Amino acid sequence: MRIPPERLAEILDVAEDGIVTVDSQHQIVLFNRGATKIFGYDPAEVLGKSLDVLIPLASRGVHRGHVEQFARGPVVSRTMGERRTVTGRRKDGTEFPVEITISKLIVEGEILLTAIIRDAEDRKKYEDALLRLNQDLEERVRARTAELAERNLQLTQKTEENEMFVYSVSHDLRSPLVNLEGFSEELRIVVRDLQRLLQDERIPGDLREQLDALFAGGVRESIDFIRTAVGRLSRIIDALLRLSRAGRVVYQTQVLNVGAIARRVVDAMRKTADEKKVEVMIGELPPAWGDPTAVEQVFANLIGNALNYLDTSRPGRVEVGALPDGSPSGSHTYFVRDNGIGIPEAYQSKLFRALQRLHPDKAPGEGIGLAIVRRVLERLGGTIRVESVVGEGTTFYFTLPAGSQ
Amino acid sequence: MSHESMTILLAEDDDGHAQLIERNLKRAGFVNRVVRARDGQETLDIVRTGREGLPPSSQFLLLLDINMPRIDGVEVLRQLKADPRTARIPVIMLTTTDDPREVERCYQYGCSVYITKPVRYEDFVEALTRLGMFLEIVKLPSAPNGDRPTP
Repeated sequence: MRIPPERLAEILDVAEDGIVTVDSQHQIVLFNRGATKIFGYDPAEVLGKSLDVLIPLASRGVHRGHVEQFARGPVVSRTMGERRTVTGRRKDGTEFPVEITISKLIVEGEILLTAIIRDAEDRKKYEDALLRLNQDLEERVRARTAELAERNLQLTQKTEENEMFVYSVSHDLRSPLVNLEGFSEELRIVVRDLQRLLQDERIPGDLREQLDALFAGGVRESIDFIRTAVGRLSRIIDALLRLSRAGRVVYQTQVLNVGAIARRVVDAMRKTADEKKVEVMIGELPPAWGDPTAVEQVFANLIGNALNYLDTSRPGRVEVGALPDGSPSGSHTYFVRDNGIGIPEAYQSKLFRALQRLHPDKAPGEGIGLAIVRRVLERLGGTIRVESVVGEGTTFYFTLPAGSQ
Repeated sequence: MSHESMTILLAEDDDGHAQLIERNLKRAGFVNRVVRARDGQETLDIVRTGREGLPPSSQFLLLLDINMPRIDGVEVLRQLKADPRTARIPVIMLTTTDDPREVERCYQYGCSVYITKPVRYEDFVEALTRLGMFLEIVKLPSAPNGDRPTP
């Protein structure tokens, strides 16, 4: 359909946006209902009046300048206030932000300027609210991050305190232990010499037998128990010292040729691997960032464990490799995989704790290796986890920060 | 200098440790006089000014425990090595741990040999060999207390 020309004026009048037209003298010649809603004036109150009534006192001069510049210029329409907020003034004197587009039309030789106006107060409110919300969020993230950093620091300090404590206790325990070790050894020697003396012919046979029985059954056996216990105590204390040392030794971090480190570890264990007929494979290992001795310790522990906990019912296989992930978080994931006896799921959570042993009969040790490995990786900025199926094998995955290429 | 006339100065605060060391020195064939100091200060005093009953210009071989009251072994070592009059005294450090940092600190200060307790007689033999003193100071025991197994 076609709109009859006389009704076009009505379309203008009912528009929700304010429409205000001024002549070259800046006299208002059109003021629709939308403009009434926005400014609070009835058309009758402003028609024939200067545009200035709709503009805050302070910006009238500037505004008039802009309007005249636009009237003289070649542009037919544009948005006002592209680079600044335009402010309007209501009948009640309140001021508010507006969005304005302006256009010109020459009617019978007279330039008419028409402004289409929208109250931007709500939009501004939302924008401001959004801005505040954003700032608030940022503030909270900042506060939380600071809190976490503080907590982290506290935990680190706590860990270091614990390590210091473990270190000094273990160190202090060594001194009495040296006496236990030393004097039980002295006793062993003295008893052996006494037993030799008993062979002397001057000692009557029946007395010799009685004394021999006392020494062998009573004294020697007691001494052997003491020596076994002292030996165990000594190994536990040494293990604790090693663990606390792993947390306190100063690292020399650098770019690491991880492949070379792994090969060095495997070469050192070559004899054991050959004896046990284990096939050891080393895949491509990308460079990492860390302390060479510490990373070697990690590989030595994991590969050593793999060689210790084999399933004798099948040929052993140990594979050292890295996941082909690239480095999304700036780290590489390495793994040591075996086809050994595996670790029951119920035990996996205890695996990295100190002094825990799952198969004490399989290999000697105090259950300190994996605790050291975890501590070392923690200090290097890495993590470790285990996947294992009993009867199939175990894979340890650990991450290290990537070394630059 | 004749090593036979050398006095072994044992700096050790723990009576048990001291006695174990003396027993093992005998087992290792030492015939030298052994003098005991109970802390770091006493050790320095004996080295610098001697002790009653000791010949005034005694030569010392120092067995130096690290953990001692008042002045510890590492400080004794530092002071002895810093003084030209005492810098040439051979020192064997004795410690209860093999903490690598402690070992390194001692080597920095110039200790020659380092033994971890409990001290076995084989450790002394090895330490003296490294000091180049073995043949001169030790009367090789014909049968060093029989067949001691290594622990």
